[in-house]
Amino acid sequence: MEKILDVKNIEKYYGNKGNITKAVDGISFSVEKGEYIGIMGASGSGKTTLLNCISTIDTVTAGHIYIGDKDITELNSKKLSKFRREELGFIFQDFNLLDTLTAYENIALALTMIKSNHKEIEIAVQEIAKKLQIEDVLEKYPYQMSGGQKQRVASARAIITKPSLVLADEPTGALDSKSARMLLESFETLNKEMKATILMVTHDAFTASYCKRILVIKDGKLFNELIKGQDTRKQFFNKIIEVVTLLGGDNNNVL
Amino acid sequence: MFSKLAIKNVGKSIRDYTIYFLTLTFGVCLFYVFNSIEAQQAMMIISKSQQELLSALTEIMGIVSIFISVILGFLIIYANKFLIKRRKKELGIYMTLGMEKSKISKILVIETFLIGIISLAIGLIIGIFLSQGLSVVTAKMFRANLTQFKFIFSSNACIKSIINFGIIFVLVMIFNTVSISKFKLIDLLNANKKNENLKLKKVWLSIVLFISSIICLAVSYYLIIENGILAINMNFYLSLALGTLGTFLFFISLSGFLLRVIQLNKKIYLKNLNMFVLRQINSKINTTYVSMTMICIMLLITIGTLSTGRGLSDVLTSNLDATTPFDITIEDNVLEDEVISNTLYQTLEEEHVKLGDIAANYSEINIYDLGVKYNTIILKELLDELQLYGSDPGEYSVPIMKLSEFNKVLGQLGKTPIELKENEYLLTSNFDQLSENYEKFLKSNTNITIKDKTLISSTKKKASYTINTYPMFSDLGSLVIPDEMLIGEKSIKRVLNINYLGKDEETDKIVRERLDNFEDIDFSYYYSKIQIQEQSIGLSTVLSYLGIYIGLVFLITCAAILALQQLSEASDNQERYRLLRKLGAEEKMINKALFMQIIIYFMMPLFLAVIHSVVGLKVANQVVLQFGQLNILVNTITVAIFIVIIYGAYFLATYYGSKSIIKANK
Repeated sequence: MEKILDVKNIEKYYGNKGNITKAVDGISFSVEKGEYIGIMGASGSGKTTLLNCISTIDTVTAGHIYIGDKDITELNSKKLSKFRREELGFIFQDFNLLDTLTAYENIALALTMIKSNHKEIEIAVQEIAKKLQIEDVLEKYPYQMSGGQKQRVASARAIITKPSLVLADEPTGALDSKSARMLLESFETLNKEMKATILMVTHDAFTASYCKRILVIKDGKLFNELIKGQDTRKQFFNKIIEVVTLLGGDNNNVL
Repeated sequence: MFSKLAIKNVGKSIRDYTIYFLTLTFGVCLFYVFNSIEAQQAMMIISKSQQELLSALTEIMGIVSIFISVILGFLIIYANKFLIKRRKKELGIYMTLGMEKSKISKILVIETFLIGIISLAIGLIIGIFLSQGLSVVTAKMFRANLTQFKFIFSSNACIKSIINFGIIFVLVMIFNTVSISKFKLIDLLNANKKNENLKLKKVWLSIVLFISSIICLAVSYYLIIENGILAINMNFYLSLALGTLGTFLFFISLSGFLLRVIQLNKKIYLKNLNMFVLRQINSKINTTYVSMTMICIMLLITIGTLSTGRGLSDVLTSNLDATTPFDITIEDNVLEDEVISNTLYQTLEEEHVKLGDIAANYSEINIYDLGVKYNTIILKELLDELQLYGSDPGEYSVPIMKLSEFNKVLGQLGKTPIELKENEYLLTSNFDQLSENYEKFLKSNTNITIKDKTLISSTKKKASYTINTYPMFSDLGSLVIPDEMLIGEKSIKRVLNINYLGKDEETDKIVRERLDNFEDIDFSYYYSKIQIQEQSIGLSTVLSYLGIYIGLVFLITCAAILALQQLSEASDNQERYRLLRKLGAEEKMINKALFMQIIIYFMMPLFLAVIHSVVGLKVANQVVLQFGQLNILVNTITVAIFIVIIYGAYFLATYYGSKSIIKANK
């Protein structure tokens, strides 16, 4: 299988001499095309830092990150912007939709920035909206939508450019459980039907149980790897709970 | 400790304060410059009457300055309110840390004080330097010679500026203290959370509103063009009301309308960040249409005062040489029961107003009233229009002059005398607006009946002579007829034109003193060339200075309000642009979007104001035409320069300010 993401021994240090915090401490892993992978860990374990490094929002202290065949740690800021536009899709915990734009426009924005033809934009937006069942909110503004709808609009925006990698940072964090479930089902659709490669960061076992593979991080290091394989979601969920317990975490984060 | 905090705050929020600071400095600077006019005379040689004019000018500027300081006061309070709004969170944190409201007020008072002192000082320094330049302009307008360069400092203006702005700052401090005492902690801390309701309008509504605004404006333009600005009547008010309403509707609906129109063209709409920029403007204007309307109207006033102030003064001075062909004209209205035995010249000589020693030459002409009314020589439509300038001119008598006397005046002017047959008259008028009328009149039936005798015009063209010294071209139309027709008639006015031996001011002063001391009320008034020129120059200086002063202050006010509105939005924008960056928008794209957003916002009220003023100036020109032709090109360039400099400065300050606010939180 083709490797989409290859993280090689990256480190991220904060602070200065004598007072160094190792947020990410020598993590290596790779993601193949079409994978749906989760990164779990308690707060402070370094998962968000890891995601920020992969998403080129933050820079690494050491190590290399390859997306496709590009080493993103070597790109300059202009190329990074282009890379983010064309190769990555983002889904944030707090949706990050532009409040002045309608859902349609929010989705289309991702395409206008990569200078797509306006006819293609029309078709693509309608298509993705149908898949994510947000056709009826396309003309609404973010403040007129529910959290779940907003997050699906954000997902549509992330996926519409057909990025190599979709990065989701706690996508269910601000959703109620029903909306969360709908969103996760949407992710599955995107993964299966559109062959989207999704990397999702979460601390929530239920959310994680939708993934096919889970990396567990503790204190900036890889702690464990779980593979769903032939398990049902329920079995996988139980496995995750076991690991979370092992992590020494409490059960508060378990649904 | 508090002052330390305040000083640090000012230093840190210098970016926020830029606009505030810029406005204050501009304000102080203008205030000083226009109040320092009196001190400028140190640099030039001017006559006594010019000195009087200069002090009158100073007085007028002083009165206008009160009005100006009220406007500046409001502007500064508005700007200050914006600053407080931006800092609500910071103030909230002080409060959660247990700082009392009175202490917070104290910090703000110190901050206001600091900023006030600094801007006052800088504004005064710039003002002092600028006033040197202005004195050169004043000297030029007064046609006075600059003696030598002297550094001028007007302590009066300085003290006045300090007192005025001191009062404004005290008001700001009071305002701050009051608004802080009303603050609730929860609101302060949540101030950053947006709760602005996006007011959405239906598509058809914005289209209907837009169309009605265009209709309102069109009707308003039509009314004012038809009506003119001198007739203050129902149509005039209606035009003003419709104009304001139209402007208001225009700004309510414009952004929505524009959005819809551009949305129809997907190619443009779905290109780069166009969609984002349009929405940004849309959301802002939806909440600021009231101030947009006000700004537009103020810009209209700015353009109006800047261009007509200067323009009028040009007009007032440009024709001066033509309207004052003699050094002095003395006019005497003959009373009904008065018996005229002598010429006016002889009368004056007899009454010990000696003119022989100063007069190089003189001519005298009598004006007669033989019952010919203007409605016989001026077309009816035109008469209706002329009514604007006074009561019904159609009922006025046309002045009639004797051929021989008229030719004497022409001789004094060095012009060839005219000839008339016994049944002919000559029609003369120097009033440009009526040229067309007389052309028509002289082409058709030119018969005029005087004393039961029908006379015809000696020429097919109207003659244009200026036969007395007067501040402007004022001869609506006069008739010259053969001497025989006037035998036995009593004149109603005697006009004596004198040229001096010496051309200097001294002679004029002596003559005027002699005439002023002569207390016989029989003779009425005189117009001296030098006096008229000085007065016109004085009046034109007043007009152009007033125009520039008021215009500039209004311009600053408009630009500052626009700038503050854009900057106040910058914190919301910060989030939006941060997101765009995350989504992969390049710096260049973002800067372009920001630039477009701000420039469109700045240009919109200016655009409509320019259209308004094109109509306004057209109408104003009709009035000015009485005095002479406005030089439109020069005025337009002058206004454009002012607008580009000041509006441009604020625009750039806003753009760079917003850019750095947006960059701050990468």
